[in-house]
Amino acid sequence: MATIDLQNISMIYGVNGTRHVALESVNLKIRDGEFVSLLGPSGCGKSTLIDIVAGLKTPEHGTVLIDDEPVTGPGPDRGVVFQDYSLFPWMTAFENICFAIEHTNGNLTRKEIEERTEAYLDLVGLRAYRNSYPNTLSGGMRQRVSIVRMFSMNPKVFLMDEPFGALDSLNRIYMQDTLLHLWSGGEEHKTVLFVTHDVDEALQLSDRIAVMTPSPGRIKEVIDVPFPRPRCRKTLSASTEYSTLKSHLLSVLYCEMLNEIERQEKGLKGLA
Amino acid sequence: MRFSVKHEVGIAGIILLATAVLTIAVPDAPSQAVNSNSAFITVIALLIIFFGALLYLHPKKAQATADIFLIIAVVMFLWEVLLGKLALLDPFIFPGPARVFRVFEIDWQQMLAGVVSSLEILSVGYVIALVTAIPIGLYIGWKKRLFGAAYPIAKAVSPIPPTVYLPYAIVLLPTFAASSTFLIFIGAFWPVLVGSVYGVFSIDPRLINSARILSLPESRMIQRILFPAAMPSIFSGALIALIMSFITLTVAEMIAATSGLGWYIQYHHQFANYDRVIAGMILIMVVVVAVMYLFDRIQAYSLRWQNTQ
Repeated sequence: MATIDLQNISMIYGVNGTRHVALESVNLKIRDGEFVSLLGPSGCGKSTLIDIVAGLKTPEHGTVLIDDEPVTGPGPDRGVVFQDYSLFPWMTAFENICFAIEHTNGNLTRKEIEERTEAYLDLVGLRAYRNSYPNTLSGGMRQRVSIVRMFSMNPKVFLMDEPFGALDSLNRIYMQDTLLHLWSGGEEHKTVLFVTHDVDEALQLSDRIAVMTPSPGRIKEVIDVPFPRPRCRKTLSASTEYSTLKSHLLSVLYCEMLNEIERQEKGLKGLA
Repeated sequence: MRFSVKHEVGIAGIILLATAVLTIAVPDAPSQAVNSNSAFITVIALLIIFFGALLYLHPKKAQATADIFLIIAVVMFLWEVLLGKLALLDPFIFPGPARVFRVFEIDWQQMLAGVVSSLEILSVGYVIALVTAIPIGLYIGWKKRLFGAAYPIAKAVSPIPPTVYLPYAIVLLPTFAASSTFLIFIGAFWPVLVGSVYGVFSIDPRLINSARILSLPESRMIQRILFPAAMPSIFSGALIALIMSFITLTVAEMIAATSGLGWYIQYHHQFANYDRVIAGMILIMVVVVAVMYLFDRIQAYSLRWQNTQ
């Protein structure tokens, strides 16, 4: 149970004397148990924002509050799933989950840890792969392990950085459903911050979508996704409300893209 | 018809058998004469059995095994014909195979003792180097500031051949075993250290981030994350260290030992006993191949998680 409060976050990267504004005064309040997506093209700073909330990066200005406590570094209260680098390749699927439980629930016995790990592997149908190393699993299987590993840590907040970005479209749909199933199956809804560049993914999963635009990275618009849960993928994507929202989101992103191209062309002319 | 692995193995086998027949049936050149050919015949039989077993046990690597088998068969054949039977080169410094392998039959106890004493010194020095260099290297790699000071020092000191320290080692340490263990330690330390430091540097930062999420205590971070992640690079350092250790050991033994592989060659060299010098070289080769094989197996097992299939 947790709220996330992003207050006036700015992030500037300096590379060889040039200043790249990755994030400019980003403000966002996420309610307890809410599923919020950050939607935007690459380079809009959405991954940087996730890293800041995770405590892996320190913003130039501004603070992140989790339950009104400022974030000072990474901690087990915030579970993270990255695109394809969450698991340790030298540990089997089983060991990866055990390791995470061991370091987030200090007072469990070895046996309890192993029982829980078994249960989590069962949950995503990977019992048969418990002794497989991540390199021998498919991308989808790896992400299933990553996701249950995050659940096994029992954090207050889930941070997911394009977790399904490397998967093919069928696998992606399957993983989205798995995620929603696990998320809504818990005793309490965890607060989720989910990064994606896929409009459909954002619409299917989120309660709210924060649309981000690049250079400088900002939140351009936050829209509510009013569809009731549990959602049915088929009827949802056929509804007119869905298409209206989707075309709105696309036009916001598209308009920003056209502006960006125009900016770049001007820049080129300026050089010439 | 294609020249298959089976043909190659057959040809190699025939060459070896021909060598054996030749050895028994044709008298040696008078200058290469030896009172018993049985050791050489035994070696030929062992080679056939050994490569036969390898081909049977590892059919996947049959091509390479067959190639090596053929090369060894040809070398044995030419050695026996050109030196043993025809004595084309000075028989004093180029003994035939029957004379060389006869040495193993006579000297086997001394040789075995040499292998044991050499491997003892080697493994103690090498293991101490691993046990100290890996943790220090991991820690230096992890702490950027330590690295700034340590790396230039390592770069400056590491190219000094460890045998340079031999005079000090002999004066300061009580026994030859202690001083050569020390030299091997010095020689193996730097490559392992550099491998460990470099290993930490080359860890994907995303993996480090994954670990930071768990907020591990530093000791766990080093043991469970940095160490395995740096393992591929540590192994390349450890391999260089192992080769270095062999060179250091044999050189040290040649200078100041009373037994061991290097000593054996050096000792018989003084008496211009080239049968034994060459036998000693073959013995070192066999020991090195065996140790390297062991090393490869340990490496393959430790890095089994890297294999994608």
